[in-house]
Amino acid sequence: MAAARRVFELSFSEMLWSRRTIFMALVVGAPVLLAVIFRVVETFGSPAIRVNGVRVAGGSIFGVMIWVMYVRIIVPLLGVFYGTSLMADEVDDKTITYLFTRPVGRGAVLLGKYLAYLACTSLVVLPSVMLTYFLTVPFAQIAVTFRPLVLDLAILAAGLAVYGAVFAFVGARLKRPLLAGLVFAFGWEPVVLVVPGYVRQFTVAHHLQALVPHAMPSDSTLSVIQGLFRQAPSAPEALTWLAVLLAGFLWLAMRTVARREYVLEQ
Amino acid sequence: MTAKTRYFVLSAFAILIGGLTTGLVASYMGGLPVALSRQAGPDDLAYVPPDAVAVAYANVQEVMASELRQRLRKLHPESPDHNDFEAKTGVDIERDVDSVVAALMPTASGAPDDHRPLVLARGRFDQVRIEGLARDHGGQVSDYQGVRVIAHQDDGRTMGLGFLAPGVVAVGTLDGVHSAIDAHRSGRNVLSNTELMRLVGELDANNAWAVGKFDAVASSTALPGGLQQHMPTLSWFSAAGHLNGGITGTFKAEAKDDEAAKNLRDMLRGVMAMVKLQAGEKPELRTFVDSLQLGGEGKTVAVGFSVPAQMFDVLEEMHAKDRRPADVR
Repeated sequence: MAAARRVFELSFSEMLWSRRTIFMALVVGAPVLLAVIFRVVETFGSPAIRVNGVRVAGGSIFGVMIWVMYVRIIVPLLGVFYGTSLMADEVDDKTITYLFTRPVGRGAVLLGKYLAYLACTSLVVLPSVMLTYFLTVPFAQIAVTFRPLVLDLAILAAGLAVYGAVFAFVGARLKRPLLAGLVFAFGWEPVVLVVPGYVRQFTVAHHLQALVPHAMPSDSTLSVIQGLFRQAPSAPEALTWLAVLLAGFLWLAMRTVARREYVLEQ
Repeated sequence: MTAKTRYFVLSAFAILIGGLTTGLVASYMGGLPVALSRQAGPDDLAYVPPDAVAVAYANVQEVMASELRQRLRKLHPESPDHNDFEAKTGVDIERDVDSVVAALMPTASGAPDDHRPLVLARGRFDQVRIEGLARDHGGQVSDYQGVRVIAHQDDGRTMGLGFLAPGVVAVGTLDGVHSAIDAHRSGRNVLSNTELMRLVGELDANNAWAVGKFDAVASSTALPGGLQQHMPTLSWFSAAGHLNGGITGTFKAEAKDDEAAKNLRDMLRGVMAMVKLQAGEKPELRTFVDSLQLGGEGKTVAVGFSVPAQMFDVLEEMHAKDRRPADVR
């Protein structure tokens, strides 16, 4: 663990101030910007969003943002971009040799980098959710919507952890991990979720979405079909699956890094 | 860790801790000062489970104090049962009940025509007296999550009554009352039902309103034949009214697609044209008929109406005419 901590300390600042952070700031800043626009429009007394002529309340907008922006896009996207790059970046930059020649276990290198990813993304995503919440939800509803907010924060942190572990393994195992990661997160998962049967068990989204306290919006045809075939697992079942996926993929990623022979292209 | 990184981490933690502290304080105090707030719907929606298919609200105090209510009272004097209810429960609906929220939730079987009703009343209630009355009629008092709940068998169904908070009473099926307690305790309530709350947000200014899934309500209500045919094509409905001297109200329904909404609008247009034609023979109804407005675009169909106070004078006269021959006899 001491070795993983040393790698974490080294990687955290590096990851936080990398070019990827600009991308992350843009992605995570979008809901905050939308929430600011919503608040400004509502402050002037006119309803910011109307659907079929009906005013949409702030609490509902926050629920939709959690579903559509954070759970379906931001969390998997950050998981793909950061998770797949944990080892791939070191290979591309040809600096992996320096890491592996240090007196630290190869598995500890991945674990330290994974923890740095988790800290880095959580410290950007969770404050963004908090800002979005206070900008959209009316003050009077805070008392009754606070528990779902805490649940949202926990779910998003869990999502970042599990997606990070899955894509850390993908990054450690495959040669073109980013493409495979994008296909998994935005191709495989949304399609499988609308297919009846047990295949959806092999997705992170199925278990993660079962925990979301807000009603699933019917914002697209795919969502409507998903709503029809949705068989949400119970909270303990979903949590167990997420824990198994997290532990399993993290262990596989560490094992892969420890055993794999990385050949640097000259 | 560099100074820049340290500042970033501290800022992120400050936002998180600040937000969580505000939320905790708000939860502890039961909400931040109303002056700072704009809330969609009444506070009691926090007791309504998230799977509610229909929710209705009435500001009883405003409705009872309205000019319209006073006029109706003249037309239909209160029945002796009214005093009997007050004598038994100590509750004078007009004086002691501030507001009522009613909801329908699906049953465990998920049958479309079977729903669990839940009524939440806010006001001043004599808990000891109501509890005693329930016990006298075979009610069983139990404790659920720290809330006293009275269960009573009625027509093969177990009905319940719970004192959820000072001044808040829930009445409904026993599992409905239990789920109201759970909804408030866990925070997983109808406030997180984005589709339903979207409609509630629009109706806030009215003192009586109802929103819900059309098929859920239609399956347990006998609707006129014309509407019955269009039921499957409608998804959500909302109805709102403001009662004072008269009534102003709107009824909105969301169809599943633009085509269905267009068909319904066409049908209603025809019905309204027929009503207006009929009203030619009854000039006293002219004001009401002229106030009917058909609207809506895309998937929405809306009908607005206004019943002025004068209209009730006409009804009063008609009522008096009907009563007179009997009085003579």
